[in-house]
Amino acid sequence: MSAKDRQLALMLTPYLIGLTALVLVPAVASLGMAFTEYDLIGAARWVGLANFAELATSVPFRAALVNSLVFAAIAVPLRVAAAVGLALLLHRRAPAATTASTAATLPTAVPEIAYGLLWLWLFNPLYGPVNQLLRWGGENGRTAFDTTVPSWLTSPNDARAAIVVMSLFTIGEMLVVLLAARRALPREVHELAALEGATGWTLARRVTLPMLAPVIGLLLLRDTILSFQFSFVPALVVTDGGPPPYSTTYLSLYIYRNAFEYLRYGHAAAATLVMLALTAGAVYLQWRTFHRYRSRYR
Amino acid sequence: MWRRWGAVAVVAVFLPPLVLLVSGSLHRPGLPPPTTPDLLPDPVTAEGYRLAAELGGLTRATLNSLLVCAIAVPSSVLVASMAGFAMARLPRRVAGAVAALSMVALMVPAVALLVPKFAMFRLMGLTDTLAPLVAPALIATSPLFPLVYYLAFRAVPRELYEACAMEDLTPLRTWWRVGMPLVRPVTAGVGALTFVLTWSNFLDPLVFLYDRELFTLPLALRSLATLDAADFPVFLAGAVLATAPALVVFVVAHRDVRQWRGVR
Amino acid sequence: MTGVELVGVRAAHGTRDVLRHIDLTVARGELLVVLGPSGAGKSTLLRVIAGLHPVSSGTIGIAGRDVTRLSPGERDVAMVFQSYALFPHLTVADNIAFGHRVRGVRRKHARPIAAKAAEVAGCAHLLDRFPHQLSGGERQRVALARAVVREPAVFLLDEPLSNLDGELRAQTRVELRALHDRVGATTLHVTHSRSEALTLGDRIAVVRDGELEQVGTPDDIWRRPGTEFVATFVGAMNLLPADGPWRADAHRVGVRREAVSLADDGIPARVDRVEVVGEDTYVHLRVAGAHAVVARVATADRPAADSAVHVRVHDRDLHLFDYDGSRI
Repeated sequence: MSAKDRQLALMLTPYLIGLTALVLVPAVASLGMAFTEYDLIGAARWVGLANFAELATSVPFRAALVNSLVFAAIAVPLRVAAAVGLALLLHRRAPAATTASTAATLPTAVPEIAYGLLWLWLFNPLYGPVNQLLRWGGENGRTAFDTTVPSWLTSPNDARAAIVVMSLFTIGEMLVVLLAARRALPREVHELAALEGATGWTLARRVTLPMLAPVIGLLLLRDTILSFQFSFVPALVVTDGGPPPYSTTYLSLYIYRNAFEYLRYGHAAAATLVMLALTAGAVYLQWRTFHRYRSRYR
Repeated sequence: MWRRWGAVAVVAVFLPPLVLLVSGSLHRPGLPPPTTPDLLPDPVTAEGYRLAAELGGLTRATLNSLLVCAIAVPSSVLVASMAGFAMARLPRRVAGAVAALSMVALMVPAVALLVPKFAMFRLMGLTDTLAPLVAPALIATSPLFPLVYYLAFRAVPRELYEACAMEDLTPLRTWWRVGMPLVRPVTAGVGALTFVLTWSNFLDPLVFLYDRELFTLPLALRSLATLDAADFPVFLAGAVLATAPALVVFVVAHRDVRQWRGVR
Repeated sequence: MTGVELVGVRAAHGTRDVLRHIDLTVARGELLVVLGPSGAGKSTLLRVIAGLHPVSSGTIGIAGRDVTRLSPGERDVAMVFQSYALFPHLTVADNIAFGHRVRGVRRKHARPIAAKAAEVAGCAHLLDRFPHQLSGGERQRVALARAVVREPAVFLLDEPLSNLDGELRAQTRVELRALHDRVGATTLHVTHSRSEALTLGDRIAVVRDGELEQVGTPDDIWRRPGTEFVATFVGAMNLLPADGPWRADAHRVGVRREAVSLADDGIPARVDRVEVVGEDTYVHLRVAGAHAVVARVATADRPAADSAVHVRVHDRDLHLFDYDGSRI
């Protein structure tokens, strides 16, 4: 190794230490902790598969798992579809489009907790603007179509819907990526399609969307994984995991509660492992998709 | 034409939550629920802000947040840029491996690492200090940023690096004297996003801090969430205080990054 | 019957005029080469005909139909782009059949049509490949097949050979001409290469700064260049003042290099430098003591450097140009 390479390796070292200490080691550690009972005060006690056996029969865990998967199945396609739609609408460099894409990315920059507090108010049945708007034109606290207004924070499905709605406004990151990808498509390809008479929806379906497919695929998988993450603060702050018993308890909240409120670290680590397994599955899928398409899109 | 109307519709959907946030924070706390939506409060009052600062201990929390950002953001940018530069100059094989590792790290949800990270910092006796909040600087806050720098430094014409080698400049000096000035817009963008992420970080303080004196702004805000709904102007005022710096920095960076078209 | 007719066409990029006032008629079945230096507006001319770039004024007719206000898809033209613009997500067959599929033809019916076009363009063996699996020459054929399959009123080729290298380029040039003769459709072929223009075109339109300098057969363009620009752009030419060794009632006199012959008598000249280029040799002369002139002679007959010679030029080989650069 030359002196030059040694110095370059040295420059890479802090980052590699970070990756090891803050990602790899914790990931492996949770593997170990999952087989112990551990409250961080006494010594860890090896319990074998007991934590997993308990998870398998645990009602709250099963609720959290199902909630997480259902949330991902509904929120992720909606989020990606919204971002793709916006990217197709706003990709031209015109003042109106630029303003609109900035406006659409703004909510993403709001700190999670502030965003949660905002929606806590927006969804409030009495004080919240959302229901005020829905009641507009109606009588006796009903909508203009004479249906009852949703009780966002007290009815299970309304609460789940509330969390999905919250997630639909934070698609800025995806939008930025998709706008860049759309603008990177060669102009000639769209011109050629125009010569063939393809316009509007045909153009989008036959040319633009297929060419963006690898990016959309990556975003779908990445967002699926992130959905474990972005349901946490809303569930913690806005719905508090309820309405009871577990309507909006997601895996993330389940892990947090077990570890830091009930001090059952081993149990939480086992749940973490389930989450990591789901993540790994998604990463694997992503890796495969990526490799299948990469060569074709040079 | 329809695109213009589409753009207007997008603004009409995405802007109201933020407008309502500001307008809500300017209401008088503790009033009975309004019967009709009122965008313009009557009277406009900063009462919510006063109460938020008092009840949430926001002054202290803001100082803590600023302290964390002052340490974490510059270190994070340094880690990211050095790593990205090294990746661009080391053999492709090495760079590829580090990039793959970064991609994997990007995929792991932060919640999934919370428990073992807590155990780790606990063992080191670092819980209830600001250290765990600064620690993410070591992975450049997000493994995305070293990758961004990697691509930026790789886009610099090879000849420039070779010219530096002819002058017998060490990699470290090449990075500082030639590389960094060339990718200044990237640094502006990465720095801004790092600030937004660090400033908004809620999960880490939630787990690692118990002492109110150490609370950062996002964590201090959480205590406001338990207020009665009638006091919405108070917690909205807190939310505005936490949002404003992040939003300002984000908008500025968004504009800069949009104008950047790569190294020429 | 006309294939393409442009009347008073102007076009701009922002505030900059790219096409100033183009009147051009292309006969049906003709292969017209549009020749000019880069930035002259050649590509814009094609894009205006295709409807990809708006005209500021003027009208465009295709096969006797005014298409000025029609969208690209309604104009019945096919274009081959310099980058070929193949769809990366479609196989060669699907690329060729794209237009038919867009117009609602079912895949199983579109396939044989695509196969036939591929046959004509010489890429029938590639139907099931993806663009990334093709070489540059193969991509070019697929792009051609995609144009052929539409049986359009007009083919627009934007520097289709510029991404190919030497040998392949010459060979494809021949095939392109053969293809045109077989299909017989009106074709506009844009290039900046004079040899491509001279060998390929029925006629050549020379473009400069958004204006047509001259339109004529290759023979015309070569032997009777309309302006000094055309004369020097199409082939090297010596330009001398009219009061120099060859006197004329003009501003300047042009002589092609091969028209200058070395002889025993004539105007005395001195050999400055001798440049051997294979079979030919460029002899750099100083004629009548002052004027730099280059002559092209057979290498076998080349004079020695620094020797004294005499030069001769036949009167019919003198091109006379006026003060504004136009031919007298």
